[in-house]
Amino acid sequence: MNIDRKEVLRYLGYKNQSIDEVMEKLIDEAMIEIKEIMRRNYVYNIYDIENQSEKVILKNTNIIFQSKSLGEHLHNSDRCALMAATLGIEVDKRIQYYSRINLTKAIVMDACATAAIEALCDKVQENMREMAQREGYNITSRYSPGYGDLSITNQKVIIEVLRAYTRIGLSVNNNYVMIPRKSVTALIGFQRGEENIVKCKCSRCEEKNCMYRKCGVANESEC
Amino acid sequence: MSRNVDFNKFLVFDGAMGTMLQACGMKAGELSERYNIEKPEVIEKIHRAYIDAGADVITTNTFGANRYKLNDTGLNLNDVITRAVEVATKAAKDKLVALDVGPLGQLMEPYGSLSFEEAYEAFKEQVLAGALAGADIIIIETMSDIYEAKAAILAARENSNLPIICTMTFQEDGRTLTGTDPLTMVNILQNLGIAALGINCSLGPKEMMPLVHEVLKYSRIPVIVQPNAGLPKMAGSETIFEITPEMFAAYGRQMAEAGVRILGGCCGTTPEHIRELKNALIGLKPVKTHIERITAASSSTCTVTLGGEVKIIGERINPTGKKKLKEALMKDDMDYILREAVDQKDNGAHILDVNVGIPEMDEETVMVRAIKEIQGIVNLPLQIDSVKPKVIEAGVRVCNGRPIINSVNGEDKVMETIFPIVKKYGCLVVALTLDDGGIPKTAEERLKIAEKIIKRAGEYGIPKEDIIVDCLVLTASAQQKEVKETIRAVRLVKEKLGVMTTLGVSNVSFGLPARSLLNRTFLAAALSAGLDAPIMNPMDADMRDTVRAFNVLWNHDKDSKEYINAYADSKAKPENNDNKTNKDLKKIIIDGLKEEVKETVREFLKEFKALEIVDNYLIPALDIVGEKYEKGEIFLPQLILSAETVKNAFEVIKEDIMKNSSHDRAINKGNIVIATVKGDIHDIGKNIAKILLENYGFQVYDLGKDVPTEKIVGKVKEVKAPLVGLSALMTTTVQSMEETIKALKLHCPDCVVMAGGAVLNENYANMIGADFYVKDARDSVKVAEMVINGVKKN
Repeated sequence: MNIDRKEVLRYLGYKNQSIDEVMEKLIDEAMIEIKEIMRRNYVYNIYDIENQSEKVILKNTNIIFQSKSLGEHLHNSDRCALMAATLGIEVDKRIQYYSRINLTKAIVMDACATAAIEALCDKVQENMREMAQREGYNITSRYSPGYGDLSITNQKVIIEVLRAYTRIGLSVNNNYVMIPRKSVTALIGFQRGEENIVKCKCSRCEEKNCMYRKCGVANESEC
Repeated sequence: MSRNVDFNKFLVFDGAMGTMLQACGMKAGELSERYNIEKPEVIEKIHRAYIDAGADVITTNTFGANRYKLNDTGLNLNDVITRAVEVATKAAKDKLVALDVGPLGQLMEPYGSLSFEEAYEAFKEQVLAGALAGADIIIIETMSDIYEAKAAILAARENSNLPIICTMTFQEDGRTLTGTDPLTMVNILQNLGIAALGINCSLGPKEMMPLVHEVLKYSRIPVIVQPNAGLPKMAGSETIFEITPEMFAAYGRQMAEAGVRILGGCCGTTPEHIRELKNALIGLKPVKTHIERITAASSSTCTVTLGGEVKIIGERINPTGKKKLKEALMKDDMDYILREAVDQKDNGAHILDVNVGIPEMDEETVMVRAIKEIQGIVNLPLQIDSVKPKVIEAGVRVCNGRPIINSVNGEDKVMETIFPIVKKYGCLVVALTLDDGGIPKTAEERLKIAEKIIKRAGEYGIPKEDIIVDCLVLTASAQQKEVKETIRAVRLVKEKLGVMTTLGVSNVSFGLPARSLLNRTFLAAALSAGLDAPIMNPMDADMRDTVRAFNVLWNHDKDSKEYINAYADSKAKPENNDNKTNKDLKKIIIDGLKEEVKETVREFLKEFKALEIVDNYLIPALDIVGEKYEKGEIFLPQLILSAETVKNAFEVIKEDIMKNSSHDRAINKGNIVIATVKGDIHDIGKNIAKILLENYGFQVYDLGKDVPTEKIVGKVKEVKAPLVGLSALMTTTVQSMEETIKALKLHCPDCVVMAGGAVLNENYANMIGADFYVKDARDSVKVAEMVINGVKKN
């Protein structure tokens, strides 16, 4: 799996400034180092769902997601996957290490790790798409706790039902912060109809002035 | 009342509980521990099925019965555990009941939020409830984090008399999820006074086999293995395990033949697996294994074995005679200590000695803090060094790994206080060959003391391989005649006692010129006499070179690999002699040349006063960089690189000020306390703010991340900080921020609060009571200048 350099730069707030040799080298090294130390791991499980618009119920479990926006996201889906993915704790350790002795590198490593966990999720999603297609399904994009009105507390629900702590070492603290930091929990719908392609995942976010935003509000076609 | 357990015989544990509960209709998302209260008959049925299958021990349904997992479930921890033990006892009849203690499900400090002490308390309440209810054994299982395992074991030992079994779970790459390898696990756990240790979960028996062999090679205590029924596979939306009971039993038999004493099953195993396993052991007697007895210290992820290749114990974290380190300790400046740790590691240290004894400070508190900080950053084993037994005990307790204690000696009183600590926490210990009569003159007398210490240690159950003898180095300037007695003593001790040896080498040259020359010559002599682990300064190139050369000459460094690595291109490197003065200091900062800057500042100091450099070069350059960043001409890492460059420049300048002024005239515009609030562990933004604020001359007290309100309030009061910077990244932790601000406003009403973090904005920050919202680190500098220069908020 490759880390996309463009994504790394985006997470660093890069806007076409000139980059000298030293910085180029630092970014290259950081990308290599993250690749060396990450222990990519993921778990998922697939459930039949009942979508009641205000809430999404996973059948044969006692899990209910109270969320209108998730209901909308899954409105064509009759099944959904819960997934959890992480780069492992060594990445946290190393970034922590550099933040004490080389802050610039820590920041670049952090951006590389963010790009890496996104890439891992994309890969998991790709696997899932293939699996779904074999059964005649399409899939939706990823939807994570914290999006729309899907409470971030659902991180804990997903981690527990997937037993993500014992299986991939992913935990969530009392404030629903996931540790290791470079981790993602998400839901992906399985639907019979066409895939509802979201052009850019930034487009549904309220934070219009975010430095990481990919798509300008004025010109959505950029992304 | 618990019954005796015979670990000399085979013991067969039960198989999975979760798998069986699912088969009984438990839904995903249901809490299995709830069954103890609401459907105990289902649990009893499962236990019975395992007893009927031949299990000698059944495990209570309490894997997740801890305060963190039961939080918000409406279940009472005591009830859950008591009922679980009762149900198991009822089903077990004459068979044994093991109280199941699983991981707390939270990652531990410094990466997670759970402290060692909190983990201990959580395990303690489980142990107390389980022991009271009548469990026979405590099984601490499926641990990924050896630090958590240590907390659990100490809680079990200190709050019950039950035999303890501990298993960890490994991934296919042969390490646990937090990076512990089998040797490190054995080296740490077997010395913590438990009855058995081993491996469970995650893998099937086949994948476990190589790990099991590795464990058997080193474990002096019985070994337990509880594999899954193969690796979990997805079949549609179901998870399945593919190893049949027969295959499972065949692997079990192989493991028993290799020396495994206790067997059972984990995820996916059923009473059928256990029945076949039990049958497979018929006719087999427990196998005695050949164990390699080693002298090894461990961090959580790395084990250093003494003997063979020379191992360097770094001596630099010791304030004796080190003004800067002393000052750092007084100021609670852990960054300085961490840098010493990192530098020593980078220069080849294998183990780090940690001594923080200064009379002005509470040594125990500082020791605990220093150990926690160091082990969070550097993965080397530690040597806990103090003259106070209390400090040693506090240190080895929170040490994540198997440390060395420095030290014990031949005095009865010292042995009586130190050996119980060595034994309880399973440490190695440095034994100084001195006693009430001081350091004996002759080698023979020192050997005698070493013999006495080893014999006495044996009475405490401490084997001789856990003792590292230090024959003590005397200074050539004062006791020239005795210097070579130390070398003789090392040789004698090595020959007669066959133990590992250490020496504080650089003592030899004290008071003489060209110390390095004496040090390295003495070191070479000591190494050839049998010195295994010199305590020395790894940054001393002469001594390091001597060690490397010795490792080649004594055939430790095979094919001279490391030697060649270190020296092959030493001539090719051109010396950088183009010492151009009049370098452009501003440009160096703007370009972020953080190594070069030090030399340039030193040059500048020959011409200018320190403060002139700050005012005319550093600050103007920072302003230029800041403006460039704001205009989008440079991006974040470039800004930080420049900030780090200024930081390095300041270090040189501070040194100069310290040297040249009679009074301590530091550059300090004002004190600022900063922290990432309780519950939040994101600290990169805060770290960026810190470095910029320091660049602009503020004294920043950085309390780190996940910081409780009380600690922030306390520090603000202590240093009378007029300004506090708080950071929180998540909506959930903004609540902690709000609470912290409330407490600050109550207890320190004059203190101004600035708040920043991804989810905050101007309105939100105002709403939670912050005086200022800072959108980035640059902003925090502006606020700081405004607040500290007395411009009040309107």
